[in-house]
Amino acid sequence: MLTPYLAFARKSFLGRSAYRFNHFMGILNTIVQIFIFWEIYQALYHGRGEIDGVTMSMVTTNFVFSICLGAVFTVDDFYLPYRIGNGSIATELLLPVNFKGRMLADNLGNAVFQLVFHFIPALFVAAVVVGIDTPYSFPMFVLFIFSALLGYGVLWSISFAVQMSSFWLINVWSIVTIKNVFVNVLSGSMIPLWFMPDWMDSIMRFLPFSSIYFTPVQIYLGELSYREIGEKCMIQIIWIFLIYLLGNFLWERGKKKLVVQGG
Amino acid sequence: MKDFIKVNNSSQITGGSDCIIKVQNVSKIFKISRRAAGIPGMLANMIAPKYEKKQAVKDISFDIEQGEMVGFIGPNGAGKSTMIKMLSGILCPDSGEIQVARYIPYRQRKEYVQNIGVVFGQKSQLQWDLPVIDSFELLKAIYRIPESDYKKNLNRFIEMLHMSEFLNRPVRQLSLGQRMRADIVAALLHSPKIVFFDEPTIGVDVVGKETIRNFICELNTQDNVSMIFTTHDMQDIEKTCKRLIIIDKGSKVYDGSLLGIREKYGTTRQLDVEFNRDIEIAPIEHVQIQQLDETDGRKKRFIFENQEVQIDELMNHLLSNYGIRDINVSEPEIEALIRKIYNGEVL
Repeated sequence: MLTPYLAFARKSFLGRSAYRFNHFMGILNTIVQIFIFWEIYQALYHGRGEIDGVTMSMVTTNFVFSICLGAVFTVDDFYLPYRIGNGSIATELLLPVNFKGRMLADNLGNAVFQLVFHFIPALFVAAVVVGIDTPYSFPMFVLFIFSALLGYGVLWSISFAVQMSSFWLINVWSIVTIKNVFVNVLSGSMIPLWFMPDWMDSIMRFLPFSSIYFTPVQIYLGELSYREIGEKCMIQIIWIFLIYLLGNFLWERGKKKLVVQGG
Repeated sequence: MKDFIKVNNSSQITGGSDCIIKVQNVSKIFKISRRAAGIPGMLANMIAPKYEKKQAVKDISFDIEQGEMVGFIGPNGAGKSTMIKMLSGILCPDSGEIQVARYIPYRQRKEYVQNIGVVFGQKSQLQWDLPVIDSFELLKAIYRIPESDYKKNLNRFIEMLHMSEFLNRPVRQLSLGQRMRADIVAALLHSPKIVFFDEPTIGVDVVGKETIRNFICELNTQDNVSMIFTTHDMQDIEKTCKRLIIIDKGSKVYDGSLLGIREKYGTTRQLDVEFNRDIEIAPIEHVQIQQLDETDGRKKRFIFENQEVQIDELMNHLLSNYGIRDINVSEPEIEALIRKIYNGEVL
């Protein structure tokens, strides 16, 4: 018998296959993005082997993985806001399950679907056409997967905490957009963090965003020693924990002042 | 923990060991943003938003026993739905205590909701894009319903609510009446002993309403399920509930039997008489005489209070003094009485 959370994950996995056209367009979108980045960086490198010690293939590997992982790390930022906005939170709370657990299960079902049917085909196309570095070593590849999972955790808890604001603000579009700009720019998925100025680098140290994509990619490329990997993964875990605690604090407060919209 | 002990004490005071729902002095206030119309109103609201407090539920108390079926009525905005949402653990009361089957709904939500079923007529808990049966399967996993119970309940409900024809249709293609029946089944698959119905017949046609009412009655009598039922349709209440709680502006204004309403408020009687010919009736003490038909002077209505005028005396008086063709005594309808209560005429 399925446990409730597996059932939720399964449902959201199956639900994704309902809109096939949308899905294929999504893959195309990812591939187009990769090509655009590739063209931009080719123009920037202009045949040079490396800039600041960073080779073209390292940059390519970074943006290919960031963009492809980005397709997997699609946390629905409007999961709770949508349910509060139309009042369906009422029926959700009638189910004998942990709402946060159910939210995570739904998101994970979606992420697994994206991993199999979006990440893998898009990565394959990218590897064949633009070419990416192979993993530094097998242990590094395993650690990369581990760290990527933690990266998902960081992103999920940020989204979770931001969504909790919808108990107070019915419309959270603006705050979600601001969050996404921060994630896109500061996580290194657009501009690799190698190219960030030093002062920026020291600020980034105190922000969670580089933990999402950049840490796993650095591990994949073999840039970090085992000790550094341990440290970075520890930082990822601490971020997940801290941001989740903040979100949970808001959740506990928000539940008490919940207003069910519409009758 | 402190509140929990308090609740236990109070249940000892009132005694009732078979009281399954206890509500004591519950209040709930909502903050509503208030804003003047138009662009000036919008600008004012941007700079200094104004809020207004609305007391949705005001100091309500009642007890409900296992197996009881209680109708909850009141005009729109009276606080019925808010009360149901507090009873089902979705909303948190501002003050007062609620205890249902040894749980405090709001605090022990996850464990508590396993024991109840809730039907919101205005909100569906079915999966919009999936066939009805898939939603049921999902609920089976969520509530961890054993296969045999699930099969038994499902087959029984399908038969009682005539659902077999649309079981495999996506929810978005169902009619309102079908969706409502499916929602009722969804709320009952895990065999809850307490069920809250919030307007389960809203927008359903006469036949559908009758099916739903019969189903609810049967469930109540066969399975001894306790129920609270909110509605605007008095027929729902008359056909299902023995006990009635009326809420108005957040306060409880009546709690008692359906017939009790008539005894308490329905003291007015009316006697419609058709005389042989158009005659002038001499005034009778305490009786108000109305012309029933403007063009036909033979039909008259006599309205009087039960305690003031004996009906047999009045009839004797009329029979012995006037020639009478037809006579008809009527009690005011419950619905008319409720209307009076809503309008504040009888309190």
